[in-house]
Amino acid sequence: MSMIFGSMRALFDAILYPFRELSPLVGLTVLSVLFGIGMLVVLKYTSNQEKLDAVKRKIHAGLFEIRLFNDDLRAIMRAQWDILRHNVSYLGLWLVPLLIMMVPLILIVGQMHFHYGYRGFEPGEQTIFTVELKQDQGSKPAARLDVPEGLSIDAGPVWIPAKRELSWRLEADARGDYQVGFELDGERYEKNLQVVDYIARRSPVRPAATFLDQLLYPAETPLPADGAVQSIALKYPPADAGISGWDNELTWMLVFVVVSVIAAYAFKGPFGVTF
Amino acid sequence: MIWSPLHRNGDMHSPRQPRLAPSVSLLAVLALLAFALPAHAYIGPGAGVALVSSFAVILVTLVIAAFAILLWPLRMTWRMLRRKKREKAVIKRFIVVGLDGQDPKITDRLMAEGKLPNFQKLAKQGGYHRLRTTYPSISPVAWSSFSTGTEPGKHNIFDFLDRDKRTYLPQLSSTAIGSVKKFFKLGRWRIPLEKPELRLLRRSKPFWTILGEYDIWSTVLRVPITFPPDEFYGAELSAMCVPDLLGTQGTFLLFTTRRSDETFKEGGLRFFLEGQGPTYVSEIQGPPNTFLEDEPPLTVPMGLEMDANGKGGTLSLDGETHRLEVGKLSPWIMLTFPAAPMVKVTGICRMQLTEAGEHVSLYVTPIALDPENPAMPVSHPSYYSTYLAKKIGPYSTLGLAEDTWALNEKVIDDGTFLQQSYDIDKEREEMFFAALEKLRSGSLSCVFDATDRIQHMFWRYMEDGHPAAEGIEAPEHANAIEELYQRNDGLVGRVMEKIGEGDVLLVISDHGFTSFRRGVNLNAWLLQEGYLKLKEGTDGSSEWLRDVDWSQTKAYVLGLAGMFLNVKGREEEGIVEASEMQALKDEIVAKLHNLRDEEKDAIGINDLFDTGRIYRGPYRVNAPDFIVGYNEGYRTSWDCATGMVSGPIFEDNVKAWSGDHCVDPRLVPGVLFANHPLDDSEDPGIVDIAPTVLRLFGIEPPEHMDGKPLYERSRFGRGTTASKADGSPAGGPTKKAAATAAG
Repeated sequence: MSMIFGSMRALFDAILYPFRELSPLVGLTVLSVLFGIGMLVVLKYTSNQEKLDAVKRKIHAGLFEIRLFNDDLRAIMRAQWDILRHNVSYLGLWLVPLLIMMVPLILIVGQMHFHYGYRGFEPGEQTIFTVELKQDQGSKPAARLDVPEGLSIDAGPVWIPAKRELSWRLEADARGDYQVGFELDGERYEKNLQVVDYIARRSPVRPAATFLDQLLYPAETPLPADGAVQSIALKYPPADAGISGWDNELTWMLVFVVVSVIAAYAFKGPFGVTF
Repeated sequence: MIWSPLHRNGDMHSPRQPRLAPSVSLLAVLALLAFALPAHAYIGPGAGVALVSSFAVILVTLVIAAFAILLWPLRMTWRMLRRKKREKAVIKRFIVVGLDGQDPKITDRLMAEGKLPNFQKLAKQGGYHRLRTTYPSISPVAWSSFSTGTEPGKHNIFDFLDRDKRTYLPQLSSTAIGSVKKFFKLGRWRIPLEKPELRLLRRSKPFWTILGEYDIWSTVLRVPITFPPDEFYGAELSAMCVPDLLGTQGTFLLFTTRRSDETFKEGGLRFFLEGQGPTYVSEIQGPPNTFLEDEPPLTVPMGLEMDANGKGGTLSLDGETHRLEVGKLSPWIMLTFPAAPMVKVTGICRMQLTEAGEHVSLYVTPIALDPENPAMPVSHPSYYSTYLAKKIGPYSTLGLAEDTWALNEKVIDDGTFLQQSYDIDKEREEMFFAALEKLRSGSLSCVFDATDRIQHMFWRYMEDGHPAAEGIEAPEHANAIEELYQRNDGLVGRVMEKIGEGDVLLVISDHGFTSFRRGVNLNAWLLQEGYLKLKEGTDGSSEWLRDVDWSQTKAYVLGLAGMFLNVKGREEEGIVEASEMQALKDEIVAKLHNLRDEEKDAIGINDLFDTGRIYRGPYRVNAPDFIVGYNEGYRTSWDCATGMVSGPIFEDNVKAWSGDHCVDPRLVPGVLFANHPLDDSEDPGIVDIAPTVLRLFGIEPPEHMDGKPLYERSRFGRGTTASKADGSPAGGPTKKAAATAAG
């Protein structure tokens, strides 16, 4: 499984590399269009196109019926009921392709989120760097945070026994792509921290080596399975995905969905897909 | 799986918090589904598309419905204010099922044999009569009389074809189709600045227009002579005379590897299929591209990859592939012809590989206007054809949809023709029942054409010694006509199941049928008798009377039914003075009365009917001067119909088109079945239907109508019970019930 996530990281780093210095909208648009087309292909081969077409036709017929028999209230209500019924069938016909699309979508959206959902720190910004340990240490563990030049520890560590967490407040002093080290019982663990202004893969969490954790945070290699650390987290600021003032982790998704839906509509004719 | 960490920048939170438990995730997903954007974000564009489409549908539905409901009281008030006053309707629905050409003699025989139980039942319930047809007894004329309640002199339809009085060339009798004259030129492109003229030449109001004036809805499906469609309170799908995409009345295409310089005499074009097998290429030609100066034909490239086993092939058209089997008609195939940037012309056709072996041949039906997006108006309202296409799927819009020419030319076989005809009838039946289901009160008229077409093409198997069946031993479809009548019987049964209290059902045909064994070339007769002269150096074999010397010609024949005099001041080169007309008419009538076919020792023509005597309306001046009353077994010959003069006067008809009705109208009445006994059952005619409908809906038929109502309103009145033909009560609706139902 790690290999799959590793491959996805490498793939998306390569795909998005040409766009890293450009406005996020450019890369997002290109990827969204490609995804929209990919979705068409999946839909073409996994959905029952004939049934989709048939149910769509029935919906359209219902709409025409409302217009045609607009003097007949009973006919209008009946047409409405038929339309709603066919609409449910329509959504039902999407289930299989949606389930099939889900698998690649999770992998792809995971990667995109960690490229476009967060921005890198600016010099002078602070963040909380938190290490969660696997086992209860009894007392504050003798751990050390190895902060490279360009970052500094502003406060900490704070030990919260109930949560088995050690937290530091770090401050970015200069731009750079850093590895922050954490040492415990002679073992060293690292977490990537970016003080950069270009688009890059950045994860708020370096997860444990479990499937679910990797699925949720596929942007960074998982921690060693036999290590003492459960996870290392920090808080990146949300990105605006190129839409000024829309600083939110989900802004990119808005762009992604809108553009890919438009692309799907635009290319459905050439690809001979009905939906 | 929500990538939305809950902690904010600078806050101290557990790193576990961003990971939500599955149940929480599920709840979040459900919550997100309630809001469009996060839902898209989560499930992705696939769901986005599904939800956007679905949401749009619901939104549009609600908006349209809300508008319709909100405007309903206003609309009703407006209608009430505008509506003409009438008496209360005594029926709820008036349903006419037209079985074009159903013959009473065959019907009688099969009913007597017990093979038409539903017709029998309907006859017993209400009645069964011969239905007087029109002069001439052909569909465009008869159905026009059906719709207008008038004789041809008042509705102006006398034949399929009329002649241009200036050029003597044929033109459609029912529709004037013009061309665009004004363009905006842009380099090689030209943008039309007007719509071409499209005018229905039928005169007199059809009954559905009159019903509409009184706020009574009508649905009219494929009743002949409704192109371009009438505008009235109701819906109409045009029929006869709707052209194909090439602008003709039906031109099939044959793509073949067989080299031949021969052209089809009727309704077909031959194209060479290039290739060395198994791959062949060609292109399908569409209509001329009027957006370009020289109007080159629009084309769609076509490729055909034959299977190694020779049982079928794969056709590729503009990137789309279609599977074809030898001997099997394909479903409807859409053809898209790009005409200009953003402008496409679409049509639909069916295809069949008719041979695959040493030679490959591909038959393409005439390309019908796409019902979803027709290049010409084929319905009222304009979206009605689209609605029907959405409701029942693609269907043929062509006026004469069944490809009789292809069978005549032996491009397709009997089985293919039957399949095509039945498929078209099935489309029609679906339309009919869809309309019937929606009709709560008003009228519904639908004409089914298969009865006419199949009798035309399969009569040769009905009788011994038909010249068109010579050499055909034990034909597979010898019983096609009997099976057809039985299919019609099934249809009638299904319709009867849907008929309720207060409904009047009429099952009618516009004319009957008879054999067409011998063709009569009256142009040759006129030549022989000296009424028609040829130009010097010609032999009369040119079509459309091109060899005729008009300066010496007194009479000529064009079309199926009529004969014209070459009248001075009326025809461009007319020579017959008005004062001579009647004497000349009488002379020709006398000569053609009981005209004998000496070779067969039979009468070929019973009578010649002087239209000056049989028509009364204002448009009789446009009529032929005579309607020819051919005897049974005779009809105008193929050569004569296309304006050829050469050849014998009488000749065998060897075409598959072997039955006809274009004879003495007294010989081919139609049928009338009704679910209520007629009050006036003496010689009912097709012209009586329109006044009947009006009367039952409380409208006094206009005086110009020639027909007489077949029912009295009192039949459906309070306390009056409709009685069966045998005199027992039929359980017909009381006036109260009917009036209530009629609203």
